[in-house]
Amino acid sequence: MSKAVALRGKFWTPNVALLVFFMVSAAVFSYFRFFHGFGSVTNLNPNYPMGMWIAFDVACGVALAAGGFTTCLIVEIFGKHKYHALLRPAILTAFIGYLLVGMAVAFDLGRWFYIWHALIYWNGNSVLFEVAWCVMLYLSVLAVENVPAVVEEYKDRVNLPGLLARFNGLVNAFLQVADKVMGKVAVFFVLGGVVLSFGHQSSLGTMMLIAPYKLHELWFTPWSPLLFLMSAIAVGPSMVVFEASLATYFFNRKSEIHLIGDFAKFIPWFLGAFLLARFGDLAWRGALAAAFVPGKYAYAFWVEIALFLIPCVALMNKGVRFHSLKLFLGACSVILGVVVYRFNVFLIGMDMGPGWNYFPSVGEFAVTFGFVAFGVFLYKLAVNYLPILEQQH
Amino acid sequence: MGINRRNFFKVAAVTGAGACAALAAPAEASGPKLPEDAGYGMLNDSTRCIGCKACQTACKQVNELPAEGTLDDRGALYDSPRALSDSTYTLIKMHRDEESGEATFVKQQCMHCLDPACKSACLVGAFVKEPTGAVTWDGKKCMGCRYCMVACPYNVPQFEWHKAIPDISKCTLCHDTRLTKGKPTACATACPADAITFGRRDELLRLARARIAAHPDKYDPHVYGENEVGGTNVLYLTKPKVSFATLGLPAFGYIAPPRLTESIQHGVFKYFIPPVAIYAALGGIMAFNQRRNKLKGGTEHE
Ligand code: SF4
Ligand code: SF4
Repeated sequence: MSKAVALRGKFWTPNVALLVFFMVSAAVFSYFRFFHGFGSVTNLNPNYPMGMWIAFDVACGVALAAGGFTTCLIVEIFGKHKYHALLRPAILTAFIGYLLVGMAVAFDLGRWFYIWHALIYWNGNSVLFEVAWCVMLYLSVLAVENVPAVVEEYKDRVNLPGLLARFNGLVNAFLQVADKVMGKVAVFFVLGGVVLSFGHQSSLGTMMLIAPYKLHELWFTPWSPLLFLMSAIAVGPSMVVFEASLATYFFNRKSEIHLIGDFAKFIPWFLGAFLLARFGDLAWRGALAAAFVPGKYAYAFWVEIALFLIPCVALMNKGVRFHSLKLFLGACSVILGVVVYRFNVFLIGMDMGPGWNYFPSVGEFAVTFGFVAFGVFLYKLAVNYLPILEQQH
Repeated sequence: MGINRRNFFKVAAVTGAGACAALAAPAEASGPKLPEDAGYGMLNDSTRCIGCKACQTACKQVNELPAEGTLDDRGALYDSPRALSDSTYTLIKMHRDEESGEATFVKQQCMHCLDPACKSACLVGAFVKEPTGAVTWDGKKCMGCRYCMVACPYNVPQFEWHKAIPDISKCTLCHDTRLTKGKPTACATACPADAITFGRRDELLRLARARIAAHPDKYDPHVYGENEVGGTNVLYLTKPKVSFATLGLPAFGYIAPPRLTESIQHGVFKYFIPPVAIYAALGGIMAFNQRRNKLKGGTEHE
């Protein structure tokens, strides 16, 4: 097995400039959000108190970072070490994803300076409490899981710039210790990370069940926690495929199609299980009829199902899985499916009462794009300077 | 979403299933068990309200809330607000029943639920169900996530959209300003038509039934809030020809919304057994696979 190495390419490319543009425009809107209130930037209103920042930046963000724990599950726990090359990038992206989720939450909190209250004031009855704690803990676990990459790159080579140089010895000693400790405790973090993921991925599905009279019956089900977990597991490998494909394209790397095409064989299984549970639940509750009542709910539902069903069938076919573009499109479809599913539960399926409507404002879009751009920026930074991606000859 | 009797069964069935799935006792479908002393509340008799808005004004005075300009585009003229907001905790609105065409004034405010969804939802416990019956909010804890607003079936909690440091605001049943000083709510005191009665919840229920019994022609026999969403401290009466739904009081089920989420939540984390069990199971699988891989002498592992 070849080793992961830092890419060490040119960092400031035109693509990075584009990312910076999105980040700056988000910063402009954040000025208004933080100093003139939500009303000056968002279209949120009394009946739609949670909007795109929660539905996309948080609810989708958590799901799309699921590549980390699913790959961990497959590689480390089920012992499929042939996919080992996919593990580091998956864990890195998960870490960046959760970091962004944390930032997005802080951004969306009206009283953001009290974010630490979740640590000291506990309401164990609150679903959100559980989500907040799992996300915090899992973010820490992910940070630890990324330590080996840093150790590998910098151990015995610490060379801080300028005045910071006097800390070289200290930092190095720390890396030495981290290296030794990590070898012994990694397994606990691997397991802990997966359990924490199970916890908050499913709890995210419980969140809107607090509003039985607002959530449409196509999505209001006690199975929601299970469905959220299953859909997160299904989207995990798709995210890995998605990232690997983009990395190949943008960093001019050799195609990894043999590896990711093989890895993608998990997707139809996970998706199939999810779809079975989804329809099983609808049939069991007698809610299937609602899917055939023309209107926005039924349309949103069928879009969601189509985005899952098509790749589920297509990716069973080897010819599709080992074709770079088709595989990429299949992964995109699953990812979009999860995004639509989360939007359906958090926004579209929520009838918040008469007289109010919600569609995200320009500012809300700009901030969301800014967060995504920041994530890509961090990813590029990390793979450029840390051994994340496998060396290619 | 057409709120009708089906919804009642939908939530009842789902709650029962959720509770079973969580190995908890299935929720009772016949009606919630109400606490013996539920504290104080108000009976809003919509048949008596004359729409003078004295209660609305009294509320603004006691809570020191500014008047709202509602015709902003024409220079912030004063008019009655159209909806609850961060500076309007209670509102009198006229509704016309679609079927009978009859017009009725009704008071809108926090229902002070017995098992409040807002309180269950808040992750930092900023909402408190006080022994007086009032549901209050603690600004020293709230992080402004607005999950309470999503959770409240009546869309009561409001957020200050135009402030850098926003509060959540809603009717407090005058808990701090009057109740704890032995005084009834400001709105009930101000009402000239005797449409708002302040008192202990059980007495209010008795009073409501007495009114219905004395004038069966004037009243719908149902007391709204006795059992809805698990019971509320604010109760309503309506005319026979004006449905509660018309007045913004939908036919909600008798099970409090938190029963479902809490039973799932506590099932998933019961004494931490499920997470620990998953942890152990995954650990076992991992150890097994590592051993097998080693025996096969196959792929190495960092
Ligand atoms: S009406 Fe809404 S805000 Fe008032 S106690 Fe009930 S859930 Fe809470
Ligand atoms: S906005 Fe405040 S009171 Fe409401 S749920 Fe969030 S933290 Fe609790």
